[in-house]
Amino acid sequence: MAILNITYQGRSADAPTPLDDRTSDADVRRIAVELVRAGLAGLVAPGLSATAFRHFVVDRFADPDGVVRIYLRPKVPFGADG
Amino acid sequence: MMLCRTLPAEFAVADFDRVEAKNLLSQTYTRQSVGKNKAEALRLQLRTFYEVDVASYPVRLTDQNIAQVAAGAMLLVDCLDNALGRHVVLAHARAAGIASVHAGLAADGTFGLVRWGERFTPDAEDEPGQATCEGGEHLPFIGLVAAGVAGAVRDFVRDGTRRDAIITLAGLTVGG
Repeated sequence: MAILNITYQGRSADAPTPLDDRTSDADVRRIAVELVRAGLAGLVAPGLSATAFRHFVVDRFADPDGVVRIYLRPKVPFGADG
Repeated sequence: MMLCRTLPAEFAVADFDRVEAKNLLSQTYTRQSVGKNKAEALRLQLRTFYEVDVASYPVRLTDQNIAQVAAGAMLLVDCLDNALGRHVVLAHARAAGIASVHAGLAADGTFGLVRWGERFTPDAEDEPGQATCEGGEHLPFIGLVAAGVAGAVRDFVRDGTRRDAIITLAGLTVGG
């Protein structure tokens, strides 16, 4: 099982229930749309388009404790010069 | 780089580009730097204002020159704004066994990422020449992301720690 984290419009939240860690990227995006439409810890957009996450990236990592995390996030193609 | 200037390390900066007036809205250059090569401008600013010396390479990083530019480096810090350049840095880091950390910003200035090379894949622009978040309105958030990558560099220099971070409007979260 995996914990899904969704970042949308500058806010990030974990889904309340784990996903099967074999969930496809397309299904991750579809599930995320449903979760954000319903409201998820500050991420609320009832009229969210079904294709809202089309260009988002799905990252999959296991943390040091072996917990699989799936991150649905915007692309970050730009530099961060500081 | 400005936020890393007090670390006990030697630095080099590489950038082929020139400072433009619009860069003053979102990058660390001064008015006097406009027209200068960015790597050289940064070198001069660090020397003039902080008496910190860094090496500068006013070149576009390619697979033909990265080995020379990165010779002797223990860490490559990627704050590039194009996928091709990021691939050059990442590929060299992996091939040479050098640590690399990569920082990126979303186009709308609401999300940033700091990720170490073993877990990083460059994101391509949605279209060539896509407008970046270089307007002044994103400067505070750019500063947050810059602080995130500077913190990652600090932790690596101090004890070799490699911590990823995600940055949203709510702040910086270690991990991810």
